[in-house]
Amino acid sequence: MTDRREYLLFAERLVKTYPDGDVHALNGVSLGVREAEHVAITGPSGCGKSTLLNLLGALDRPDQGEVYFRGEPLSRVKNIDHFRARQIGFIFQSFFLLPSLTARENVQVPMFEGPIVSVRQRAKRADELLELVGMSKRANHRPTRLSVGERQRVAIARALANDPALLLADEPTGNLDSDNANSVLDLLTSFQRDRGLALLVVTHAADIADRADRIVRMKDGKVVEDVKASVGVG
Amino acid sequence: MYFASFMVKNLTRRPIRTALTVLGLAVAVGSMIALLGISDNVERSVGEAFERRGVDLVVLKTGVPNQLDSELDENLVDRVKSLDGVEDVDVALVSLIDVKMKSGNSISAMCLGWPSSNFGYHDLDIVAGRALHDGDRQKTMLGAKLADTLNMGVGDTLEVSGEPFEIVGLYKSFNVYETGALIILMEEAQRLSGRKGKVTGFSLRVHKSIEHPDADVEAVRRKIEALTDENGKPARLSAQTIQEYVKTASHVLLVRAMAWMVSIIAIIIGVISMLDTMIMSVLERTQEIGILRAVGWPRSRVVKMVLIEAVMLGLAAAALGSVGAIALTYILTLFPKVSGFIESGIAPIVIAKGFGLTVLIGLAGAAYPAIRAARLLPTEAIRHD
Repeated sequence: MTDRREYLLFAERLVKTYPDGDVHALNGVSLGVREAEHVAITGPSGCGKSTLLNLLGALDRPDQGEVYFRGEPLSRVKNIDHFRARQIGFIFQSFFLLPSLTARENVQVPMFEGPIVSVRQRAKRADELLELVGMSKRANHRPTRLSVGERQRVAIARALANDPALLLADEPTGNLDSDNANSVLDLLTSFQRDRGLALLVVTHAADIADRADRIVRMKDGKVVEDVKASVGVG
Repeated sequence: MYFASFMVKNLTRRPIRTALTVLGLAVAVGSMIALLGISDNVERSVGEAFERRGVDLVVLKTGVPNQLDSELDENLVDRVKSLDGVEDVDVALVSLIDVKMKSGNSISAMCLGWPSSNFGYHDLDIVAGRALHDGDRQKTMLGAKLADTLNMGVGDTLEVSGEPFEIVGLYKSFNVYETGALIILMEEAQRLSGRKGKVTGFSLRVHKSIEHPDADVEAVRRKIEALTDENGKPARLSAQTIQEYVKTASHVLLVRAMAWMVSIIAIIIGVISMLDTMIMSVLERTQEIGILRAVGWPRSRVVKMVLIEAVMLGLAAAALGSVGAIALTYILTLFPKVSGFIESGIAPIVIAKGFGLTVLIGLAGAAYPAIRAARLLPTEAIRHD
């Protein structure tokens, strides 16, 4: 029997149905992600990848089943926003940077709910992160003045703002050319390895999935394959 | 980055919309502050005319809420003077009359019919000519503001209710109404208004003990209100303290009611304008709000963000509106028809009230958009296009 306490994140028989249809977006998905593990979720459009990512990131709640974080069920977490701010970093395909803010300010947005209270410390932390993603020279630029690759680097810095345990990336290279895509993936995998972060990437692309420790294939709201690793429970 | 700087950036990213919202709100708030300021000035000036002269009670006909409409027998003055506890009594016949400007146009001015013994003369600053003396028929003193408006000085002849009056003196008073009025002798005022032997009211000072000043005033009030006429019927006198008089004077009530009526309309316009701006702002930032929620912002911070943005807009509008309101009251005093009735400037307490009301307008107008923003589900908001 699987011991969910072994996992950083453990999803148990998740079911999710959207109100506009009878089709299950997720139909009994179970999945475990260990600390510092790199997992790729692949599958055709509409198979439930993004829905699963939303549930794992506590952006939404399952109709049935439970998500456990370090053995604790998320349904019992009193302040789910606080949990999300401190433990999860999100990276989206469309970057979703705030247009009125500079790169440095965008990185600081999650920090309002993080452990750093001082304004000066927040700015310092943002500068450090921008340095890590190679964007320190563009810190004072707004997103409209950045290339798409640069925007995704800033988004990665933002995701790392509160030093999360888990990075969730939804098609992180979907809007990038191959050079930028490789560069962003190198960045993500280096953070995952160097910082011991768990990284869960949703992708269509086989070459991106191949970089992961495990590949989880989904179809029709179910996990149909879980390869390259010995910890999958799907 | 401060939380407040984030909101400032949100507001400045649409500078024209923000500026128009502030401007629209400033007009509404400025009107409100101007009218409440004028109402406050009227109230203060009415009370001040009596308070600074040490008046304890104002006596009018019972049931008449305004000195202009009151009419009492002059002989009651001597009876009131003889009452125990009364220190001094001052009598006046106040009316609104037409005076003719040099241009031939007429304006209404307040005419104070004062006997030469009136203790109000002691507070006047005679800036030209002299004060009125007994026997000064068809002679008048002009308040400096009225003299400015009429462009007349000592030695000129002013047509008062169709009769020529020689201007013998110009004065300034601490009180805006008096500076905008003209003074003639009581008998002249009675003759002009056809009210011989009548006065509109009188004010009195009471001998007050240090221990029980209020009780002493109250005792005199009871005696005055118990006076009877020559037939033994009640004289129907109403003696009021200055605070009571100011609270019940019909012109003060009217100005206050008008000020609040317009203010309520301004508040409603302000709330709708704020609601419109903030709902638009929230709608077009749906996706951004979804991101903020996704990165861990709780609903409360989203609500706070929208409300603080609205309060910032409100405070900017209140600042602009206050400057506009002060300018407006000053400009109004330049118009002859109102210069004698309105004091320029607005009391700080009224401006503070205006700011307070504007903050409430902001919060009321932004409440629904804020709740709507907070209710957005991050997953749906992020998908919003």
